[in-house]
Amino acid sequence: MCFKNLPIEFDAQGNAQLIGGVANPYAYTPRQIKRDKLEELLARNGHIKDVSISPVTRVAGALSFHAVADLQERKFLEANSVATIFRGYEVILKGRDPRDAIYISSRACGVCGGVHSTAACEAIEMAFGISPPPLGTVLRNLALALDFLYDHPLHLFLLAGPDYSQVVVEATSPAMWEKAQVTEAPNAEVHQFKTIGDIMKGLNPLSGKLYLDGLKMTRTPREAYSVLFGKYPHPQTVVPGGMSSTVTITDFNETLTRLQKMMDWTKRMILLWDDLTEFFYGFNPEYKKVGARDKNMIDLGMWDDPDSYDATYARCNEWGEARWATPGVVIDGNLVTTKLQQINLGLEEFVEHSYYENWNQNGVRFKTDPSGAPLSPNHPWNKETMPKPSKESWKDRYTWSTAPRWDRQVVEAGAYARIWTTAAAGLMPKNDFLESTGHSLKIHMPKTMLREMDFEWKIPEVWNAFERNRARAYCMGYNLMVGYTMVLKAFDYLRKGEDKVSTHFEVPKGERIGVGFWGAGRGYLSHHLTLDKGAITNYQIVTPSTFNASPKDPFGNAGPYEEAVLNTPILEDYSRPEDFTGVDMLRAIRSFDPCMPCTTHIYGGEREIVREVNTCACSAEG
Amino acid sequence: MGEIPEKHVGEAGSPKQHTSETASLPDQVGNVGRRTMEELVEDICASQGKTQLSLGPLEKVYVFWLAGMSCDGCTVSVTGATEPALEDLLTGSIPGVPLVILHHYVLQLEAGDHYMQSLLKAEQGKLDGPYVIAYEGSIPDENLTAGGEPFAGEGSLPLWAPSTERRRVSTAEWVKRLAPGAAAMIAVGTCATWGGIPAAYGNITGSMSVMDWLGADYRSALGLPVINIPGCAPVGDNFTDAVQAILLFLQGLGPLPEFDELGRPAWQFSETVHRHCVRAGYYEEGVFAKEFGDKECLVEIGCWGPVVQCNITEKGAVGHQGGCMNAGGPCIGCTMPGFPDKFSPFYKSPPGSLFSSNASRLLGSIVRPLRRISQRERNREIRWHETVPSGWAMEKGDTSLTHKILEFFYEAMQFQGAKRPEKQPAKKFPPGHQSLPDRVYDGDYQVLPEEREKKAEKRA
Repeated sequence: MCFKNLPIEFDAQGNAQLIGGVANPYAYTPRQIKRDKLEELLARNGHIKDVSISPVTRVAGALSFHAVADLQERKFLEANSVATIFRGYEVILKGRDPRDAIYISSRACGVCGGVHSTAACEAIEMAFGISPPPLGTVLRNLALALDFLYDHPLHLFLLAGPDYSQVVVEATSPAMWEKAQVTEAPNAEVHQFKTIGDIMKGLNPLSGKLYLDGLKMTRTPREAYSVLFGKYPHPQTVVPGGMSSTVTITDFNETLTRLQKMMDWTKRMILLWDDLTEFFYGFNPEYKKVGARDKNMIDLGMWDDPDSYDATYARCNEWGEARWATPGVVIDGNLVTTKLQQINLGLEEFVEHSYYENWNQNGVRFKTDPSGAPLSPNHPWNKETMPKPSKESWKDRYTWSTAPRWDRQVVEAGAYARIWTTAAAGLMPKNDFLESTGHSLKIHMPKTMLREMDFEWKIPEVWNAFERNRARAYCMGYNLMVGYTMVLKAFDYLRKGEDKVSTHFEVPKGERIGVGFWGAGRGYLSHHLTLDKGAITNYQIVTPSTFNASPKDPFGNAGPYEEAVLNTPILEDYSRPEDFTGVDMLRAIRSFDPCMPCTTHIYGGEREIVREVNTCACSAEG
Repeated sequence: MGEIPEKHVGEAGSPKQHTSETASLPDQVGNVGRRTMEELVEDICASQGKTQLSLGPLEKVYVFWLAGMSCDGCTVSVTGATEPALEDLLTGSIPGVPLVILHHYVLQLEAGDHYMQSLLKAEQGKLDGPYVIAYEGSIPDENLTAGGEPFAGEGSLPLWAPSTERRRVSTAEWVKRLAPGAAAMIAVGTCATWGGIPAAYGNITGSMSVMDWLGADYRSALGLPVINIPGCAPVGDNFTDAVQAILLFLQGLGPLPEFDELGRPAWQFSETVHRHCVRAGYYEEGVFAKEFGDKECLVEIGCWGPVVQCNITEKGAVGHQGGCMNAGGPCIGCTMPGFPDKFSPFYKSPPGSLFSSNASRLLGSIVRPLRRISQRERNREIRWHETVPSGWAMEKGDTSLTHKILEFFYEAMQFQGAKRPEKQPAKKFPPGHQSLPDRVYDGDYQVLPEEREKKAEKRA
């Protein structure tokens, strides 16, 4: 039984059904946000500071953040995550030929540049009733492994990295910088940076070796990606029922060369993040609270097993669990499910504090999923949101992001969620390089220029900004070994003569429903679509940053960025309130690796937005 | 890896506490390094020892990167550029090219108001150098959001005010404020150049390109209309290459960069992508891919390359690698103003190919067999006649009469009007031929040296 809040129970055969005797099983009463006390405190001014960071830089896309800080007590009293862009992509998709969904939805986000095309492709495959030949699946997996090999270093060394650099540490905590310079890095022998101070120097923007090498190394996997998939971002070889890459031995050799370069570099980089994390914990254990949240997370898994994946909803639990990243939901640190269907049933989106109107008055389109299990009216397959541009108000609506929830609980998504569910489930396919133990993920990297090395990411005791970054560093090794295994698998299929990469398809004319369960660099990614008469009738994308950047939900729970900031103690040095920089909260936010283009592609509904919205933008000013 | 020059390594220097302009501002929220990226770059350059030798009138140029209805794909592309690479431009490391101070939300050290204040400075003409705007994404019609929050916002004004007194500023407003004073306005990527996906059918945000938004009469401070670098996403090198070309021209060093009638760098976009496609030869011979993954020309499975202006097949995507068709991806016209609606549904052959590909199929049916005949003979050494000394497969030469006749005429045409080398009878090794070592060492010179010595002694 994985649901605590949704009115769903399971019969003896494990089939989901609604709990009987409840009149409106999914109904709820939204809770109002009260901030009278806060406003009073703010009015008295003094050490209570209204903090507005617009824009938050070193994240992908347009994010603003508002918080109220108590600079005397050194804590945050309020936090609001604000997505400041809306593009209406799903409206553009509506009424189109489904073949357009792959390349159009790809443009929802150019940061991890091929994840949407693949998710769209899986949704289309389910709707069309086709599935790729094994080599097609292997190529897809390889594409996504290479994708994240660019994405994680970009975040670790260019986006988050500078927050841990000499430039920032020296400015916000001189005592820490003093200590860092004389603290030897425990793994110096591996990464070649003698002291923590040297690591911090390395992270200095535009001059540090780690920063510049990190930037250069983001190009190496993108080169391999371009060789196999045309370009990065927005690959040009994703097709319904497979890939359109023309693969040769040379392509794989060129990929292998680049994977080898990545292995040499990654071996050095993983432990560097261990050293940095432990140094911060050692300097002041309070750092364990920066960006802290309950251990609630969600992931859909990815990297299909070519022999199991058949793109059917009926078998999604089986092929989901056969993936190289196991789907799962973690609540309070416990893995409560690894079944894709259950994860799908628990999904709901709320818009009480976003610039959209609720769609429920239009009736529920699907009461059940294709297997007959109950589906919420707030589920993406039923969603039909109307945008309602209104005035920002911390009490009412304040963002273009919606609030997706699982079983009405706040869950976060990320590469760390992927490695977590995979490590906890113990379902990793048998192979020579990766092993899921139930409490850790073991990564074995073969000899390259550097000796062979073993790494083990252990499910952490505490959950905070540092652990997110540390897990992301281990994910580089995880992705790398998935990528390498896929090259070996591709060779294997080529040796067997199974060199087909795509399958024939026709656009069906009847009513169809499909979902792509996939993952982005930042974790969870789903595309829900419905087709009729050869055209898209509804298209819904839920991305990791929609979860993470979400505003408060109708149950009064803050979104993950907001919650992480509320739990963050203010540890930086300042003598006067004016000198407060907000580095601790920025570290907390950036540890999620925010990606706003993804967050706010959001659906616009059928209704055209007209100027009249001015008059109905009636929300009370906060 | 590891090619970072030693002096680059970790020498940002200490923050110059009191020289920093930002220190005196009302608050430090978001200014985590207590100095902005601009100030940091100054420090880096100072620590490297600024050169006194100026190669032109410009010392530094500010580039403000603004994003509207964008996916950040153009930004990601530009971080992948290598010729020139971003980090080289941003540290003033290319001789002759002025230092580029990039003001970009993805890379900036500082956040919030400390980030936004430079835009205001630029508007007020208070920067110590000219500025360029690079705009990514399309521009929505913010009239539709009047009274509400903008579709695409960046920053909020007034700076340093409490959140309730602020208003979020749309990127469209920033364009309006900054475009008149900009030395150049560069639209990066198809959304910014032509409108792209946000402006496709179903566009509910009124999105349009920078050109559409500013109008044909717009001229930058240097008198230039909007410069367009299209592509979804563009090849990152096309952006850095164009920027460098313009800067070198302004320095009085480089030639005049030419732009076409739509403001595209002519040297990058005047050719069709098909002309440099690695598969164009298949088209010429009338051979077409039938399934995704086939190696032939992709026109009949949805490639629009013959009519699309783009350089990705010759330039590659990242580090000269890849390129859509090179890897097997049919061109969907992502650099063109008609993208996406004039190219969809994707994976369906372009209507025009019905005529052109059948014409090349017809021509190909004649050219192809003739080429194979010539090719077969070119696969023979002049010494090989009846037999070919290959252990693989081709052991026989072609000795048929028709072949000999064809080859006779082919050769006659080949050397027509040119001196033909004397035909020498092919020298063959006679049967039982012995090489010099064979003769000296009795046929077993390959045995071990000691044994050879013993044998030599014996012979002596």
